[in-house]
Amino acid sequence: MSTLGPAEIFDLGYQPYEGERRGRWPRRRAIWRDGIRTSLGLGRGTAAKIAPWLLIGLALVPMVVLVVLAAFLGSVPTNPDDFELPSYAEYFDYALLPLGLFAAVVAPLLLCPDRRDGVLSLYAARPITPRDYIGSRWAAFFTVAVFVVCVPELVLFIWNALDARDLGSWLDDNWDTLPRFLLAGTAVAAVYTTLTLFIASFTARRAYATIATLAVLFIGSAIGGIAEESFQGGVADALSLAAIPQVLTDTVYWIFGDAPDDRPVAAPVSALWLAGLTLVLGALLLRRTTSLVRG
Amino acid sequence: MALVSARGLTKSYGSVRALDGATYEIGEGVTGLLGSNGAGKTTSLKLFMGLIKADSGSVEVLGANPTASPEYRARIGYAPEHDCLPRNVSAAEFLAYLGEVSGLPRTAARLRASDVLRHVGLFEERYRPIGTYSTGMKQKVKLAQALVHDPVVAFLDEPTAGLDPMGRRDMLELIRHVGREFGISIVISTHLMGDVERTCDAVVVLDAGRVLRTGAVSGLTEETEAVLVDVVDAAETLAAALERRGIAVRTDGNRLTLPQVSGDDYDILRDAIVEADVLLYRLAPERHTLADVFTPAQEATEDGSAEQP
Repeated sequence: MSTLGPAEIFDLGYQPYEGERRGRWPRRRAIWRDGIRTSLGLGRGTAAKIAPWLLIGLALVPMVVLVVLAAFLGSVPTNPDDFELPSYAEYFDYALLPLGLFAAVVAPLLLCPDRRDGVLSLYAARPITPRDYIGSRWAAFFTVAVFVVCVPELVLFIWNALDARDLGSWLDDNWDTLPRFLLAGTAVAAVYTTLTLFIASFTARRAYATIATLAVLFIGSAIGGIAEESFQGGVADALSLAAIPQVLTDTVYWIFGDAPDDRPVAAPVSALWLAGLTLVLGALLLRRTTSLVRG
Repeated sequence: MALVSARGLTKSYGSVRALDGATYEIGEGVTGLLGSNGAGKTTSLKLFMGLIKADSGSVEVLGANPTASPEYRARIGYAPEHDCLPRNVSAAEFLAYLGEVSGLPRTAARLRASDVLRHVGLFEERYRPIGTYSTGMKQKVKLAQALVHDPVVAFLDEPTAGLDPMGRRDMLELIRHVGREFGISIVISTHLMGDVERTCDAVVVLDAGRVLRTGAVSGLTEETEAVLVDVVDAAETLAAALERRGIAVRTDGNRLTLPQVSGDDYDILRDAIVEADVLLYRLAPERHTLADVFTPAQEATEDGSAEQP
């Protein structure tokens, strides 16, 4: 026969919170972490995961496939000249398109639903500023974009290191590749993040933001291409800067020390133009978001 | 202790003056910010949250200037009138996230989220996406997110908007419970006098940006010297019987109002009822209602002589 233990009374009444209250950085980190989860569809349904992971796969998988192919071909007796891995800069030629699509489709998720569902008014009531909100959102997508850009480059870097006959001397000769692809990845991620979030701040509908971003990228490329092919002079050179993907490519090649010399605008000028554009759009994004949050 | 202190608050949007020299204080307990549309309620809340600056005057919330720093908002809660909830996130996750944004450590925020959802009656549904909730459940989530970080005071903008009578009653009881049992002061902004009468300890009545009245609700709804007599029928017969006995009466359908009743008048009233042979439905002292607060001001406004608060 079992015996009952002493009776216990559980107080299920309201318990005031008397623990730690953290400062601004942990609050910003919470918004940043939520932004990353939103970007990758984590904690959401399956449908929310399809688009980001498909596009991430488009950016990541080709490099992995190429490296696996290189490993396989390297183990069979064949002419190594038949197959070459792309250079670090050349991979951006391919990756900029899926990256642009990824930014256009996913980045609006960080702003548009908050605005559509009225959640911005709840951020306004929290101990953060609009700058904290948009800065953390920007940092969240920037983090994801840097990851997507740099991981294939890192895979290539590691493969090249493993494939070298003498790892020590290879690292002596190639150590500067690491900061170069980090810088290139950072530049690409910063431009795409700022541009897409700026456009997304003008609509509560994610689809509109995606279409508008793609329009800016493709129409800009068309204007730049036509100006480059059909006209000459300062105006044509300036118009060529509207082709943001091409300007990004020029900047990436310049970062890797392989700047093309047949471009209408010198690569350092392209890099400066991108930096200026990103800063101006960032400032406008901050101003726009501040007015949205304060209603 | 005053949680909110407003002195001479004036705020205009272009040519529209939303607040016009409003001076009042809000203390602990449940307080109603009562007024019709355009009275200045939402503008007041925006000033409390530090989202806008007053043209003149000053406001302090928990002793702090709201526009100086956002830090004081760690101790206040806010539930807006409009929809403010994401659709594809569960209530538990959303509240835990907002708890973190308010400064709670991650684990504490998760525990608090579940605890507060239990108190508002959504414990079982806490892992369902908010988009699948009914209007009443969403209103409870709005209330819960305002409480998740254990604020000192929570501002609720039209908390019964869109609710059916049962949902409205439940929400008002919940607000009253939070104000009484949780130790969290509540300020509800509403245009519904019934909500204030049923829920609030104190009220600030706003009209066209000015303060009409402030004070305890009980003081504004206290008994008058008049007596209401409701009868089933033949009210005119009873009125005639009373007037023959020298008691003035106002008749409105089956309701008679005796403006001033003293000790012996009740005996006279009893005799008149017997003589008129009417069926008595109710006999009770008349109480002021919050609706009475608006009447003199509206009449004065029509005369162009509104009294300054």
